[in-house]
Amino acid sequence: MSENYEPNIVAFLCNWCSYAGADLAGTSRVHYPANIQVIRVMCSGRVNPLYVMNALQQGADGVLISGCHPGDCHYMEGNFYARRRMGMLKDLMEFVGVDPKRFHMSWVSASEGHKWKEVVEKTVEEAREAGPFEGFRRRQIDW
Amino acid sequence: MDLEQLRKTAAEVVVREDVKYLIGWKQGSYGYRVAPVFVEDASGAAELLFSPLCTANLATYLTLVEKTPLPRGQEADKRKVALLVKGCDSRAVTQLIVEHGINRDQVIVVGCPCPGVVDTEKLAEKYPEQGKPAEVEWNGENFVLLCDDKETELPRDQFLAEKCRLCRHPNPVISDITVGEPVEPWTLADDNGVEEIEGKNLEERQAYWEEQFSKCIRCYSCRNVCPLCYCQDCILDRLNPTWVNRAVNFSENTAFNIARAFHLAGRCIECGECERVCPANIPLGKLNRKMAREVRDKYGFEPGVDPEAEPFQASFKPDDPEDFIL
Amino acid sequence: MSAMLLNKEKWPEFIGKLTGKNLWAPKLEGEAMRFAPVAEDEVPELTDGNTRIPPKNIVFPQTETMYRFQLGDFEMKEPELKEEMILLGIRPCDARAMVIVDKLFSWDVDDPYYLKRRELVTLVGLACSEPGLNCFCTSLGGGPASTEGLDLLMVDLGDSYLLETITPKGEALVSEVSELLIEADTEKIKMKKKMVSESEGKIKRSVDHKGIPEGLPGLWEDPLWKSVSASCLGCGTCTYLCPTCHCFDIQDETEGFEARRCRMWDSCMFEEYTLHTSGHNPRPTRRERTRNRINHKYNYYVDKFDVIACVGCGRCINLCPVNIDIVEILRQVKEAL
Repeated sequence: MSENYEPNIVAFLCNWCSYAGADLAGTSRVHYPANIQVIRVMCSGRVNPLYVMNALQQGADGVLISGCHPGDCHYMEGNFYARRRMGMLKDLMEFVGVDPKRFHMSWVSASEGHKWKEVVEKTVEEAREAGPFEGFRRRQIDW
Repeated sequence: MDLEQLRKTAAEVVVREDVKYLIGWKQGSYGYRVAPVFVEDASGAAELLFSPLCTANLATYLTLVEKTPLPRGQEADKRKVALLVKGCDSRAVTQLIVEHGINRDQVIVVGCPCPGVVDTEKLAEKYPEQGKPAEVEWNGENFVLLCDDKETELPRDQFLAEKCRLCRHPNPVISDITVGEPVEPWTLADDNGVEEIEGKNLEERQAYWEEQFSKCIRCYSCRNVCPLCYCQDCILDRLNPTWVNRAVNFSENTAFNIARAFHLAGRCIECGECERVCPANIPLGKLNRKMAREVRDKYGFEPGVDPEAEPFQASFKPDDPEDFIL
Repeated sequence: MSAMLLNKEKWPEFIGKLTGKNLWAPKLEGEAMRFAPVAEDEVPELTDGNTRIPPKNIVFPQTETMYRFQLGDFEMKEPELKEEMILLGIRPCDARAMVIVDKLFSWDVDDPYYLKRRELVTLVGLACSEPGLNCFCTSLGGGPASTEGLDLLMVDLGDSYLLETITPKGEALVSEVSELLIEADTEKIKMKKKMVSESEGKIKRSVDHKGIPEGLPGLWEDPLWKSVSASCLGCGTCTYLCPTCHCFDIQDETEGFEARRCRMWDSCMFEEYTLHTSGHNPRPTRRERTRNRINHKYNYYVDKFDVIACVGCGRCINLCPVNIDIVEILRQVKEAL
């Protein structure tokens, strides 16, 4: 790992809470690492496990999924489903040898700009520890 | 297992006017093979078989029916399908009912309590297959191989299939007609192959699965044989968007295998068919058992046991574990 | 054609001379045997039984990059194929399959990728002394020591291998290891003949294909197709493990701004194989697909190239998850004629 390695993180943020939370962090001039590439989805429950797989295949070093706090989902229960699925996915990925430090999930509400900063810092820090992802990334293979 | 009774019951079911056909097992064309058979009349029931060689899970065929457009004015055949099931197969039927993959009133489940099937690969290793079909029977304690007019006793703990060592439901969990006496559940094996991999560190696991997944030739027999893989439009067949590229290499094979295992999390009933049919011998059962264990331990859910249950991934509990959330 | 003898004591030395030359040999992975490169200090043992995965992927890789390009650019980069290789221990049936598939890939348009790979590979065959349970090569013009397609044939004579050169490529290979070989005498050739006839005797299954190619079109709507395909799962095991199946699909894959056009194996047993854009599928059920598989091998290919596209290796029978047995199907076809 080179000295100035910067992890590349893909973040799936729910439209109603986490995306607004990240927006608030921006408007409040909160500084957080710039390694995050945000993809807005309507709900964390919409995140298909294959999104995560594809992100890792295509060069992400870590994935973050963020949604509303349990009970606050705009669609009442989307984040509950997401919690179940992503919990399972995390176990499965760890089982096949993907570092759990590459995969995170968080609850960030629209008013939690500061929490968003903490979440990103933690995610980036852990992904940095895990190093560049080489596992089943497409370009690692004779593509 | 009294074959006469099975055949008699099957014949009675098949002649019913509201039954399209009965799916069962018959002797295969050679060696230890057993082939699925679709019985449409009483005479066909005479070739039915239930023996320790009947590993195939016939519940697959419930959702495998390909429907072609009906000619105008013709009505769809709405008759029921009858099906022979072992304990594990009945869990597949239950899970299909839970997911509304099939209607309960569209199937007639003929339950066969199962004292465990043999691992045909292990059997063929010790006693090579012959051109002539061989028979295997239960004798209470062990298996008996009948071949060339010779009887060979096969120790149960040596030849029992892997899935049966971990089987908690040898008796069908649902059935309309049961043939034979219920069997006593046995003590489960301790080793399910999952801990062995959990004992490895991340690099070792990565290396292990890289070796395994690289072998995959993407014939999709694991998907097609699975009674619970029945999407009309599978992500693996989609090109727009292409979820998993068609290229066969470690990267795409991993994506495919993870997707497959994930789609079966909380649904896999551990019939072991995927592992049995894999021509590359990838230990798919380990992935499935890992997921099944997590689902059971963390979420207290066991698929294919209660026909009234909510599907695992389409339901939630407010107090699901969330220790992994930042 | 000349016959030489290689004492088995010199086997490691023989292998040592070849490993630098991109040598591939059967390798057991778990329980599934397939061809794999032989490492520098490795000495493969040629055991009984054919590989589970056929060697067709050596000349017709499961995924082959045809060319690479950059998105928005018109320049195409074709991969260069130039590395020669030696395939050690290929069975006569698999070599014969390559000859059969050659006809297709050099038919109306020469396929550069396939033909180049064919040119680069030297096939060192091993005659079968213990044919498998479901082998029926003798019914289809092959045999345990058939030389069709091979460059060099090895016959296991117990303490030594008899090496028969067949093509100039085989001769070139033999000349490189000539100091390890001795001239075979007539006794050894007799031993070989005896072994081959014994081996032929061990083949228990057979297909009587007389009249089948001509008769198949007449059985188009025969009820037998429904009954033989009823239990089919629609997986690709039979076709992917078939040494003569050669269907492929061409896809473009992108990764960032880099892209490639590649072709990969496809199987006529998959539903999407014949699926039209409109949603119509001319082979809507597994009945039509199974019918097509048999027809392609025993009828269409015969029409076009005058050879049955089946070599009787028995892989599709061995590995079908639901015991669909091509010998059994052909027996039924023969009956229905």
